[in-house]
Amino acid sequence: MSFKNMTITPGWEKYMTKEYVDLVERGPYGKQKKVSEMGSFKEVLEEHPMCAGCAMTLFIRLTMVGLPNPEHTILIGTAGCGRLALTQTSIPFIYGNYGDTNAVASGLKRGLEVRFKDQAKDVVVMAGDGGLADIGFSAVMHSWFRKERFTTIMLDNEVYGNTGGQESGMTERGALLKMAPKGKLFDKMDMIGLAQTSGVAYIARLTPTNPTRVASVVRKAVMIAREVGPTFIQAYTSCNIEYAIPTPKVLDDAREIESKRYGFMEIISDEAKAYLESIDTSKKAKK
Amino acid sequence: MYLVAHIDQAICSETACRLCTQYCPEANTILYDNAAKTAFVAVDRCKGCEICVGICDDLAKHHAIKMIMITDLKDTFELSKEGFRPESWTGKHP
Repeated sequence: MSFKNMTITPGWEKYMTKEYVDLVERGPYGKQKKVSEMGSFKEVLEEHPMCAGCAMTLFIRLTMVGLPNPEHTILIGTAGCGRLALTQTSIPFIYGNYGDTNAVASGLKRGLEVRFKDQAKDVVVMAGDGGLADIGFSAVMHSWFRKERFTTIMLDNEVYGNTGGQESGMTERGALLKMAPKGKLFDKMDMIGLAQTSGVAYIARLTPTNPTRVASVVRKAVMIAREVGPTFIQAYTSCNIEYAIPTPKVLDDAREIESKRYGFMEIISDEAKAYLESIDTSKKAKK
Repeated sequence: MYLVAHIDQAICSETACRLCTQYCPEANTILYDNAAKTAFVAVDRCKGCEICVGICDDLAKHHAIKMIMITDLKDTFELSKEGFRPESWTGKHP
């Protein structure tokens, strides 16, 4: 996919839906939109069926603004809440089977590198904590060990929100859930530590309390994945239904969790740091 | 009937914070009119979560957003009818 493929043949605009015309004419393609411009450009995310006040939706919306080239990006997801919004973006989305998201992404990225030698194509896996840390765990770890060049974003709501509230590997110890009535008996998995061990080039942990930071972290992760190696973002995106958070309090909860145990953290390899600096200097030179 | 967010444009146009447009979980729901320097709500997309009210009251401290019963709004902006056409917005929206 590219922006050229999306543009409408002259004279056919009146037959296209309003949303599509707006997207082509007033969308973010070809120009890097900023978070501060939100509300005055057409976003790649459309209406979607996710719950009111969902922090995951907010995070996904900000991620879409952060993508450096949405027209050259392919998203991969799996069963879970996130795919309800991801399928409503104007970005090709592959609905992987549970467990194989990162395996699909590995093959896809390698194929794209062969097919499009002159154009960087970004592959971004976006799935939940269950999809990546439990069911997809093996494929995630192996893609990191093989240093596959794509971004993995974990939408960590710390529960299986879609299927009634079962505990996941990423649920906190002691958390009481509908289908974990005695509280979880084990600790939250340390995916950041595992990512470090397996040599991921860029690791970030954050909450959606700072929109500009979300967009800049996503941008960095996607850029580093183009040239250096695998990148991983772990984002706290609370489930206000399963954790019974009133919607007006969703961001208060995110701020509280952020200050207690989910503070912003960035681990970046020397090679990735040098690459980011080289992008900055070439940008400045252009100006 | 249900509640939707409503922005007091007299208060909003005095500021340029744009925070509600960034924190709304729904895409293109709180829109921003650059000419009139104010945010406004596409009521057909608002799910009534009230996150923007908290942002405007606690973070921005402008107190410009209130939840209003949809039937109490005299004039509404619906994105599905109007489309995303910023050039036609200038101060005309409710």
